[in-house]
Amino acid sequence: MSPEMTADQVAAFYAQNTTMIRFSMIVFNLCAIMLIPFFMVIVVQMKRMSLPSHVLAYSYLGAAATGATLFAIADIFWLIAAYRPGRDPQLILLLNDMAWLIFIAPVGAFVVQNLCLALAVYLDAGARPIFPRWVAYFSIATAAAMSPAVCAVIFKSGPLAWDGAISFWLRIGAFAVNIAVMFFVVRAAVSRQAAEEAMKIGPSVGITDAKVTQ
Amino acid sequence: MSAAITWTRRPKIDQWICWWTIPIFYNLFGLIFVVLTRVMPPPRPDITPAQIVAFFETHSLTIRIGFALLMFFIGFASVANGLIALQIKRMSVSPVFAYAYIGSLVVGGLPGCLLPAFAFVAGAFRPDRDPQIMVMLYDWCLLSFVGSLGCFCTQNMVLALAIFLDKNDILPKWLAYMSIWMIVTELLAAPVFIFKSGPLAWNGSISFYVGTAVFVVWEFAMIRLLYVAIKNQSPA
Repeated sequence: MSPEMTADQVAAFYAQNTTMIRFSMIVFNLCAIMLIPFFMVIVVQMKRMSLPSHVLAYSYLGAAATGATLFAIADIFWLIAAYRPGRDPQLILLLNDMAWLIFIAPVGAFVVQNLCLALAVYLDAGARPIFPRWVAYFSIATAAAMSPAVCAVIFKSGPLAWDGAISFWLRIGAFAVNIAVMFFVVRAAVSRQAAEEAMKIGPSVGITDAKVTQ
Repeated sequence: MSAAITWTRRPKIDQWICWWTIPIFYNLFGLIFVVLTRVMPPPRPDITPAQIVAFFETHSLTIRIGFALLMFFIGFASVANGLIALQIKRMSVSPVFAYAYIGSLVVGGLPGCLLPAFAFVAGAFRPDRDPQIMVMLYDWCLLSFVGSLGCFCTQNMVLALAIFLDKNDILPKWLAYMSIWMIVTELLAAPVFIFKSGPLAWNGSISFYVGTAVFVVWEFAMIRLLYVAIKNQSPA
């Protein structure tokens, strides 16, 4: 949806697509926050890394919670707009602006999440690092690809508007690729942890609990 | 390659990097809030809808540029919180204080910073909206920005209690008293929801200036004391 649409066009869009908007946003509403447990698995893996302290894991945790809350709020704005499409078009326009801006622009939380992870992976001094080193560069690349989306609050047209090639497609694409890749990276790290703990070998056994008090 | 290994193996390198983000990003917050987006010091609550629309028209571009920067840099707030939480965990107190500190500030960042930003952005994005809606966005931003109280009361209460109970002297006791003053200023800001002018309105001498002055002193003290705390920590 273009940010250049007028209030009447936006209201007409909600009136014509009410069912699909409700259906998709209810699905997002139910499913999106299920990424939080996944991010927390990454936090636990960060705590297992051989780092001087847990500060990066805590920072990652806070940023993950902020980012997910923002998505939940944007989702509710779409659903309020679709609830009564007969409302004053000015109000539908406002709800639609809020939803899109909050969905696209505040990438800072996810960017910082990735920068914390990148730094942690890079500093991990263990003989066998928890995550392979390329994850650090991959996280920085994701952060860089998503950062320009903040410009969605400035532009109404062009690649940096909220429906543009950079602010929308590059941002969403980078996020999706990141989650997909991290899924396999995390799965490999957890399986290795399970194997190591089952065989009681390696210094990483039980380190998560022992280091907590530092 | 040898240089890279040297810096990654320096003791407490992760904490030092996190510490450096704090002064850099608080300075940027100052630039964003004071110079670009004009929410500090806050504009007056007692003006007409036409004046509010004119405010958004005049400052439309700088408000949007300022908050675009904020959308990026707000993420670093969680790094500052993570570093303070880590220092609380080093105290001789239960980790509950560290977790409560992170939790209350994750909540606080939304009504206290990002939602006001989006209200102002929505206004600046289309200043040709119905003036009544513009007035609502104006109130939305400034009430949420100045009047988000509970999250920061909780944050300061948790920090003050942790410092008082701590026997390891990670942070000095006087910082706990300052944190209690932060709670007092939050309580003094509660009347912003009632008054439209005078010292208790959102741009008032009590509600805004006293609170901001105490916050700036607290933040400087915190940055300095975190430096000392990290320096005094024996390498892991």
